[in-house]
Amino acid sequence: MSAPDPVPAGAPAAASGLDEPTRRALAGLLLAMADDEFVLGFWDSEWTGIAPLLEEDVAFSSLAQDEIGHAQALYRILADLVGGDPDRIAFGREAQEYRHARLLDHARTDWAFSIARRFLYDTADAARLDLLVASAYAPLAGLVAKMRREETYHLLHVSAWLERLARGGEEPRRRLAEALELLWPDALCVLAPLPGEERLVEAGILAEPLAAAEQRWLAGLAPLLGRLDLGMPFRRAGGRLEPTVPRPASPRGDHSPSFQWLWTELTSVYRLDPEASW
Amino acid sequence: MQHAGNLLAPDPELASHYAREFYGRRQESVRLWVVPRAAIRDVDDPDLLQPPLDRSFKKPVGYSAEIKRKLAAARARVAGEQP
Repeated sequence: MSAPDPVPAGAPAAASGLDEPTRRALAGLLLAMADDEFVLGFWDSEWTGIAPLLEEDVAFSSLAQDEIGHAQALYRILADLVGGDPDRIAFGREAQEYRHARLLDHARTDWAFSIARRFLYDTADAARLDLLVASAYAPLAGLVAKMRREETYHLLHVSAWLERLARGGEEPRRRLAEALELLWPDALCVLAPLPGEERLVEAGILAEPLAAAEQRWLAGLAPLLGRLDLGMPFRRAGGRLEPTVPRPASPRGDHSPSFQWLWTELTSVYRLDPEASW
Repeated sequence: MQHAGNLLAPDPELASHYAREFYGRRQESVRLWVVPRAAIRDVDDPDLLQPPLDRSFKKPVGYSAEIKRKLAAARARVAGEQP
């Protein structure tokens, strides 16, 4: 499936000082990151009211709100770059126009699954943010510096749960291991190359190609997952970790029926009256 | 330092995470002290906290009430001395 152009036709040229192909590549990066945070925030907010304990219910819901806050800020930067309204970008697209990674296409499922997904996403996202903290695109660098401070805490929280499930007896461990095994191929979509990313590297907007972040991400995970005796489907090849599972052909498209359902939910109020003022 | 509230958590690490979400997620705190229930010493002897004798003189309000009484008396005296 071809990716719809995230840059609206006839958008006013923003005063970004970027040439058109670089601006398009940056818009694609911002949309991918914003949609990742947005969709994860909505999936995890599905736990509100039914998390395993009351305290976790409040905490996980708050974390989900944090992600939606990050998405809001990223949609704002995108709207400033390409023109348009951030809410319209967030809520006014068809389900197949979203550009989140396939990792975020899965339903909430059970607690171990949600923790496994959040662990894979938060660690991969941290590697992505590392490439952007010194970005030549100042609005993004400024936001990423703030996001990283919150994501550090998110990582501590989800890692605490990962350890407890991995060491929490037969059933939690089995469910966690099964979720990780199922999610690994789609987790590789978070740091899959984006169209035109080489231009972002040339312009100093992205420090390195996303593939470099992927290697650092995997190398960083290996000690923790090794300590918990949780497998990673990778083999060493020429100093690199190569997946032994297939990479999905369409890392940020061809979304699942589960996401179609979530889209129907999360846009239901917006679609009642897209012109309404809240 | 102010008592924010209490919560249940399986261990100190998660207790810290939950305390942050319960009492810090709206940026209302700059620091949190998380203490297990067992470490709290309960001082509830009424003779220590609510002694039977009048202790109103230890309150600043008692002092200011006396000042107000003297001031009112002085004003009344001055008013009576006026021709």
